[in-house]
Amino acid sequence: MTEVLAVEQLEKVYHPDRPEISVRAVDGISFTVERGESIAIIGPSGCGKSTLLHILGCLDRPSRGVYRLGGRDVAQLDDDELAAVRNRHIGFVFQSFNLLPRLTAVENVELPLLYAGAERPRDDALAAVARVGLGDRASHLPAELSGGQRQRVAIARAIVTEPSILLCDEPTGALDSKTGREVLDLLRALNAEGTTLVVVTHDLGVAAAMDRSIRLRDGRVEADGPSGDVLRASSPLLVEGAS
Amino acid sequence: MLIRETIRTALRSLASNRLRTALTTLGMVIGVAAVVAVLAIGEGARASVESRIRALGANLLLVRPGTAQRGGIRGGSVETLTAADGEAIAELSGVVAVAPESSGAAQVKHRSANANKSIVGTSPSYFEVRSVGIASGVGLTELDLRTRRRVALLGANVANELFAGQSPLGERVQIQGVSFQVVGVLAPKGDAGYASPDDQVIVPLTTHQGVLFGRDYVGSLAVQLESEDRSDEVQSHIENVLRLRHGIRPGAEDDFHVRSQTEMLETMGEVTGTFTALLGSVAAVSLLVGGIGIMNIMLVSVQERTREIGVRMAVGARRRDVLLQFLVESIIVSLFGGAVGLVSGYAAAELVARFGGWDTIVPVHASALALGTSALVGLVFGVGPARRAARLDPVEALRHE
Repeated sequence: MTEVLAVEQLEKVYHPDRPEISVRAVDGISFTVERGESIAIIGPSGCGKSTLLHILGCLDRPSRGVYRLGGRDVAQLDDDELAAVRNRHIGFVFQSFNLLPRLTAVENVELPLLYAGAERPRDDALAAVARVGLGDRASHLPAELSGGQRQRVAIARAIVTEPSILLCDEPTGALDSKTGREVLDLLRALNAEGTTLVVVTHDLGVAAAMDRSIRLRDGRVEADGPSGDVLRASSPLLVEGAS
Repeated sequence: MLIRETIRTALRSLASNRLRTALTTLGMVIGVAAVVAVLAIGEGARASVESRIRALGANLLLVRPGTAQRGGIRGGSVETLTAADGEAIAELSGVVAVAPESSGAAQVKHRSANANKSIVGTSPSYFEVRSVGIASGVGLTELDLRTRRRVALLGANVANELFAGQSPLGERVQIQGVSFQVVGVLAPKGDAGYASPDDQVIVPLTTHQGVLFGRDYVGSLAVQLESEDRSDEVQSHIENVLRLRHGIRPGAEDDFHVRSQTEMLETMGEVTGTFTALLGSVAAVSLLVGGIGIMNIMLVSVQERTREIGVRMAVGARRRDVLLQFLVESIIVSLFGGAVGLVSGYAAAELVARFGGWDTIVPVHASALALGTSALVGLVFGVGPARRAARLDPVEALRHE
């Protein structure tokens, strides 16, 4: 197994210099993600899931600790290098899709390739759109697509640069259960083809579909292990909140 | 990201909000159009003044009376310049001919037709010195001058007005009630200027002074030189002769001015140049206003598209990609406004020329100036909003609703 990313004693403190409003969102988290894994990060609201995801996605920097992605310490990178890492090594899938409304499906998918300076962005983008099963909808605007289709486009955009890891923030949160399941199936299929998957979710059904789950509470890892074990041990509160 | 993609993105974003884009560019359109039109009017004025001065004749010096100074009080023009001064100047080497000129306005009548025209009294050399051609008939003669004959040559417009297409040769006209015989018609100069020969009536100087206006002085002396090279030398000779003849003590001021065509061109050029600069800078203020309008809309646009910026950053846009995108957008808006303004400026200049009767010439450099300035305005006023976009925190931007 090869390490894709690793965090060690990761901390994120908001407003560190103003104790009265200072928040310790991530408080000493350590774990390692191997290539080909699928991981769910679960936990109640305010447990630091989103902050962790932003740090893993190189959108935010940790206050302390080590974040290694592909063997490189991300904390040492400047803004441009972080942008390059986001571009090539990370694919993002958001709860609210975050497609640009004025661009067609294939143009949205093309976007990362344009920033990467790819040679034939359109061909690669079309291939990615076809890979998520929307070959016939490539030139539709997001507004002309259903929620599930939009999330597929977003997934195509996330995988088009062949990133080493796919980060998903509540990928099924805005979808009904049927299309949510379809999106989940797509993510699992991608994982089966070798894409490393980290999914932040409230939905225990989604978590159960992953090989491994990490449960956070108050910015710390409360449980980390095979999804079945972690979910069985989950507090009833979390289960209720998710259903 | 390739600049081509950046431009395409900018165009698409501008096209998605056409009305706003159009309104944003309006400030630039008006500003650039105003500047171009002012430049065109200024350039036209300069050119027409120049052609008017050149039309006065080649290698010309003009002697005019100075201001009177008696007991430290300046006032009016002196009446010391005479036809005899002109004859003295004509003796100088380097001088080909001198035409004394005295002019006054008077009623000119032929039967029921009449017009108020400028009556110029001069000598036979006038036509050569002033490069005024005679279309039909003859010019003045020395005999006319000596005998104060009542003969007149009509300017092209005067002939038309009074005789309506018929030949005035041999006919009689009344000038201030005095009957003159028309001996010639001047060739039209086509210059719509204030002192155009087309609107003048030429009579012998002696007749002008003695019969019509009762003067013994002249308004100016036009001196034709052999060549322009010796202009300065001849000019100082003329000054010496006149000081001597007018009895001006050394150290006292001249009671006349000698001006060359170059000087006149320069003076007029300065005047029109100052006007153009003044009007142009007023017009340029609207460019500033246009720029502020662009900045305003770009700030709104950055605010509205915060989430888009976040998404772009999340998929790998560097800060400079975002900066460039908004900068390109504001430059395109501004350039577009500048281009439309340029065309409108041309159109305005054309309208002014056609309906205002002013000569307008859009200077060659106006296009480059207009487009360059508008690109610069877009850049200067786009930098602020673009930097604001580029500095956004990606996490905050993605959360933005």
